Amino acid sequence: MIGWLRHQKHAFAAAVRRLGAHPVATLLTALAMGVAISLPGGLYLGLGHLDRLAGDLPAQPEISIFLDAEASNAQKQAIAARLKQTDIAEARYVPKDEALAALSAAQGLADITAGLANPLPDAWVVRPQTASRAELARVAADLGKLPGVAEIHLDSQWADRLQAALAIGRTGVWLLAGLFAIALVAISGNAIRAQVLARRDEILVSRLIGATDRYIRRPFLYVGALQGLLGGLAAGGVLAVVGTLLRAPVEHLAGLYGSAFHLLPPTATEIVAVLGLTALFGWLGAWLSVTRALRQIEAAR
Amino acid sequence: MISFSQVTKRYPGGHEALSGVNLAIEKGELVFLTGHSGAGKSTLLKLIAAIERPTSGVVSVSGQNVGRLPQRAIPYLRRNIGLIFQDHKLLFDRNVIENVVLPLDIAGLDRRESLKRARAVIDKVGLLKREKANPISLSGGEQQRLCIARALVSRPALLLADEPTGNLDAGYAADIMTMFRDFHQVGTTLVIATHDDRAITALGGRTLQLDHGKVSEAAA
Repeated sequence: MIGWLRHQKHAFAAAVRRLGAHPVATLLTALAMGVAISLPGGLYLGLGHLDRLAGDLPAQPEISIFLDAEASNAQKQAIAARLKQTDIAEARYVPKDEALAALSAAQGLADITAGLANPLPDAWVVRPQTASRAELARVAADLGKLPGVAEIHLDSQWADRLQAALAIGRTGVWLLAGLFAIALVAISGNAIRAQVLARRDEILVSRLIGATDRYIRRPFLYVGALQGLLGGLAAGGVLAVVGTLLRAPVEHLAGLYGSAFHLLPPTATEIVAVLGLTALFGWLGAWLSVTRALRQIEAAR
Repeated sequence: MISFSQVTKRYPGGHEALSGVNLAIEKGELVFLTGHSGAGKSTLLKLIAAIERPTSGVVSVSGQNVGRLPQRAIPYLRRNIGLIFQDHKLLFDRNVIENVVLPLDIAGLDRRESLKRARAVIDKVGLLKREKANPISLSGGEQQRLCIARALVSRPALLLADEPTGNLDAGYAADIMTMFRDFHQVGTTLVIATHDDRAITALGGRTLQLDHGKVSEAAA
């Protein structure tokens, strides 16, 4: 166990030395990784902001209540009383004649509707106190149970559509993140491969004097993980610069809409998660690359 | 300690380096392998250290069938064998003491203890003043002694040397042979491939003559 810890310590120190020995190459690789990661990272943050924006919008979802043609006056009064309760912000009665007049005017159907008996029901248009989807559904269900109500129409389509669009965006972010994770593995693997080949002699000699493949691989894995971590930090840098550049224009635009909307930095959890993942993928690329290179060196001997 | 039973080694391309070799080397023995170049001396040493595997026959070291050893067990076999190479196989990206300490790092020893042991061995081969030097700045004889120091630092029970005095002038060669005699006296098993007859007569010991892949016992 102590031997194992010592090996880890040695390997880690060796990895830091190797990265430090080629600062330009290390930085360039970190930058390549950083740019790759900042794309899905930036998209993720952008979507988060859209999501927040959608939540903040003064949403005005409406519930339309269509009354039964045979509803009694008592039932109508009961409904009107129910709509005065505190969970309803606003309720407007639309008698069927008014609805028909509006329809005729709007669609230019006056000629057609003139001779007909009015097919439209009396209706209420109601705005609930709370705009959340759950509350909307609850109020709608509640109203639907009242006697004399023929049908409830929940006007939340726009919210559903926005959510659907955001869901596509989120899926896109994960797909993109997956692709760029592969890119990360490739960048790391490529950088490590060059290092393994540059250390061919050391590897051959180490093997002759009793080094296990695990011992040989370990410093390279640390290099990969550290390189990935640096890539993650570089991505953070790229996004910080982008955020700084975008902040003023975004706040200006929000101001024009009378909104106090502004850009927020990622949370600590998100930062830690991204750094952890980049280190992991850097490690993975190194593992694949070293294992393959070791096999080649073994075969070439 | 070492036994070969009907060992044949044929390299890809058909060259047969060893043909049906039988031999036994006891613990603590000092054995010279002689023979013209290409007689199979290096191959014999490589089979002992599992650097090559026999085409047929059994090579056994300390009771282990080395030819059948799984790949992952080979490093642990090699940690008990000190290897001295004609071309030294030193690493030029690190100084003398870092070269010597490498086997101990690989074995996972405490760093301070490792450095102490490395320094003691470097002192024994007379390179203490050069411990911070890069091996590339050392002379051929010094490089050979450094290679010996690296082979000794893990205190192996078995030392294999392939032409350890091959490129050295007589003075250095005698020094190195004297060192080998000292190790022999403390009980290390040594197998030395050489065509340096002066060394053999100076040290005495058993001599195995290799000729076209066949081994015969030579009179000492």
